Amino acid sequence: MAVAVTGSAASTRRVSSRHFVRLKLRVMGNNFRGQGWRVALFVVGSLVGLWFAATGFFLFAAPGLADGDRYALMVAAFGGGLMVLGWLLLPLVFFGVDETLDPARFALLPLSRRTLVTGLFAAALVSVPAVAVLLALSGLVVTAGALGGWSAALVQAVGVVAGLLLCVAAARAVTSAFATMLRSRRVRDLAAVLLAVAAALIGPLQLAATAALRDADWDQFTSVATVVGWTPFGAPWTAGIDVAQGRVWAAPVKLLITALAVVALLAWWSRSLESAMVGAASSGKAPTRPETSGTPVAQFFPRALGWLPRDRFGALVAREVRYWWRDARRRANLVTLAVVGLFVPAMVNLGGSNVVDGTGGFGTPDTSSPVLVSLSMLFVGVLAAVTLANQFGFDGSAYAAHVVAGVPGKVELRARMAAFSVYVLPLVVVISVVLALILGEPGWIGMTAGSLLATYGVGLAVNTFLSVLGAYSLPETSNPFALNTGAGVARSFLTLLSMLASAAAAVPMVVAAALLGDVWLWLALPVGAAYGLGAALLGAYLAGDVLDRRQPELLAIVTPRR
Amino acid sequence: MTGEHPALTLRALVKRFDDKVAVAGVDLDVPAGSFYGLLGPNGAGKTTTLSMAVGLLRPDAGRAWVLGQDVWADPVRAKQLLGVMPDGVRLFDRLSGAELLAYHGLLRGMDPAVVDQRAAELLDVLALGDAGRTLVVDYSAGMKKKIGLACALLHGPRLLVLDEPFEAVDPVSAALIRDILRRYVAGGGTVVFSSHVMEVVERLCSHVAILAAGTIKRVGTLAEVRGDRSLEQVFVEVVGGRTATGEELAWLSQ
Repeated sequence: MAVAVTGSAASTRRVSSRHFVRLKLRVMGNNFRGQGWRVALFVVGSLVGLWFAATGFFLFAAPGLADGDRYALMVAAFGGGLMVLGWLLLPLVFFGVDETLDPARFALLPLSRRTLVTGLFAAALVSVPAVAVLLALSGLVVTAGALGGWSAALVQAVGVVAGLLLCVAAARAVTSAFATMLRSRRVRDLAAVLLAVAAALIGPLQLAATAALRDADWDQFTSVATVVGWTPFGAPWTAGIDVAQGRVWAAPVKLLITALAVVALLAWWSRSLESAMVGAASSGKAPTRPETSGTPVAQFFPRALGWLPRDRFGALVAREVRYWWRDARRRANLVTLAVVGLFVPAMVNLGGSNVVDGTGGFGTPDTSSPVLVSLSMLFVGVLAAVTLANQFGFDGSAYAAHVVAGVPGKVELRARMAAFSVYVLPLVVVISVVLALILGEPGWIGMTAGSLLATYGVGLAVNTFLSVLGAYSLPETSNPFALNTGAGVARSFLTLLSMLASAAAAVPMVVAAALLGDVWLWLALPVGAAYGLGAALLGAYLAGDVLDRRQPELLAIVTPRR
Repeated sequence: MTGEHPALTLRALVKRFDDKVAVAGVDLDVPAGSFYGLLGPNGAGKTTTLSMAVGLLRPDAGRAWVLGQDVWADPVRAKQLLGVMPDGVRLFDRLSGAELLAYHGLLRGMDPAVVDQRAAELLDVLALGDAGRTLVVDYSAGMKKKIGLACALLHGPRLLVLDEPFEAVDPVSAALIRDILRRYVAGGGTVVFSSHVMEVVERLCSHVAILAAGTIKRVGTLAEVRGDRSLEQVFVEVVGGRTATGEELAWLSQ
């Protein structure tokens, strides 16, 4: 019988990336089976991706087609660099990563880490966004070809493919590392790190852009582009352009920079991947918690929320408040929201003032305007509210407890809004005060808070409907950024839709800021707060009716398929 | 008035998933005060049937009554009488055991003082008091079943519907759960539970139904269904299992 054992060992064949790619395609295909709406969403997502790809292609090909030699480097360095930056940051903020192949599933298979990482990497390349980016950036090949002939085009083609590898590797490495950090339950350290990273990333870009816009000096633009071209952000995209412009020696160096960056990112990913795989088997030792004190009900309500009524509404709020902090997935959303909510308005209002100078009525150079502040608050409010777009998906099958208990829909939705606001409202105050102080306009605090509250309120209303009607299940993995197949497209699509709707509903606040002048500085807070509160309550009232009729269906949708 | 009604009545329940029929017309009458076992192999439709009976899954056709209250026409009344422990469903497991019980009690609209008293008692009886503030997500499988049972019992339901209550539970916890269920039935409650473990069903149940391929194959009191054979023999015959001949899988022997 020993013969059989050695026989099977000898017939073990090498596992290549091909297997992972085929596995991913098969899993995707099986997920579509009998789910018409998923196929439809996938098709819509692909079409949107294709449209973006076509637009991008012509933008990147424009310098070549129009024979704009001097712009080629800039388009390649800035456009490509933005693409890499987008792949780095967008998964964290909006989209998550498609974990059709969950690394934890491979933990028991006899695969070397190298095989696993390259395999998962190859599988990650098979996605709509990756294909779209490849198509868009092949425009650079046209540019390089038009300017420098076949050799330049060939080098550029290699560069574009390498750049795509860089984008995907960056997205995977960052989300995976971020997920590991979140699991370590040391969130305070994490928040500090995140703030630093965000500042580090946005700061230099902001300065460069501001400088470039202020001087509108093409030479300076070009020199910035040259510098970017020597970083991993721009290196893959500018290699072919360099050949076309006679700097043949630069191409191999830039490709080498890209290759090194990809290898480094994959090594980083591979390290956090290992902890993700082990983490699935044992999530570490449970933290030692203080001994029990008080009755169960007293324990259940957080001390800061002791004023909540001891009824359904109070219980729902208390549970949600605890969950926003204890659930890594929700916590990731909160932390991201806090970081983005503070930095983006600050950057937009400090740097962007030059762009819209004059449109805001009474803006002096180097300061912002009420319209710009209102607009940036529109963004933050919409971003905050969209966090609730899939609030039932966070619960997953645990939502069954609410169905069994027959919780009224209106109470449920009001409580969920209230609990999230426990975190968002302090953030609103902080953002308003900090922004007003940075801008040196303390009088704007009321207007800032008012626009933010109005947008947040209407956003809550829109997203409450979305969460009842457009919910989707989240996989039960430890990675807070993981999504099910097809959900990525669905999520981006619905998120975009709801953000547009919320923003549209909040536009009156911006219009008022533009038209009313100084009176608005006083009126904005009460009007905005009332508008937001009214919209949120109306949303909960209307969506609550829908929820009452759809509870079992909603439960079925948010329960992950196993 | 509810005393005259059966504890649970199912009529012609049907559920289709895509093109697969999971439950193909189930009729069932569970008498009040009975200990009812729903037997069936994996994939027979036990979970689907029970989910439709308690209002978790909307049936394609058919109706369900809990003590005379229509589950789908008047869910609020029916759900008040009902305690449910679903299988394969997460609890709100990022709460500690005590927090989870408090949550379930308040969610049912119970008085906080009553919740406190009953929750403390349940934690004590189910030997979960020692877990302290450990989150339910860090509980063992047996502890999770026990806290799930406590959540279902907290509001003092008249009918208890349990999906696989003894799955993945160690013997000590299983004995404790059996004890509590026996006392609950002796006190006038009704228990319906699904299982594929014959010993448990034979030991506990007054009534048995065997479900296979989405329909009820045998139903009645334990004695009626079993006859003069063992329940396992009846079950295997009804379900139509196959036995290994010893020829296949030869490479497994060293």
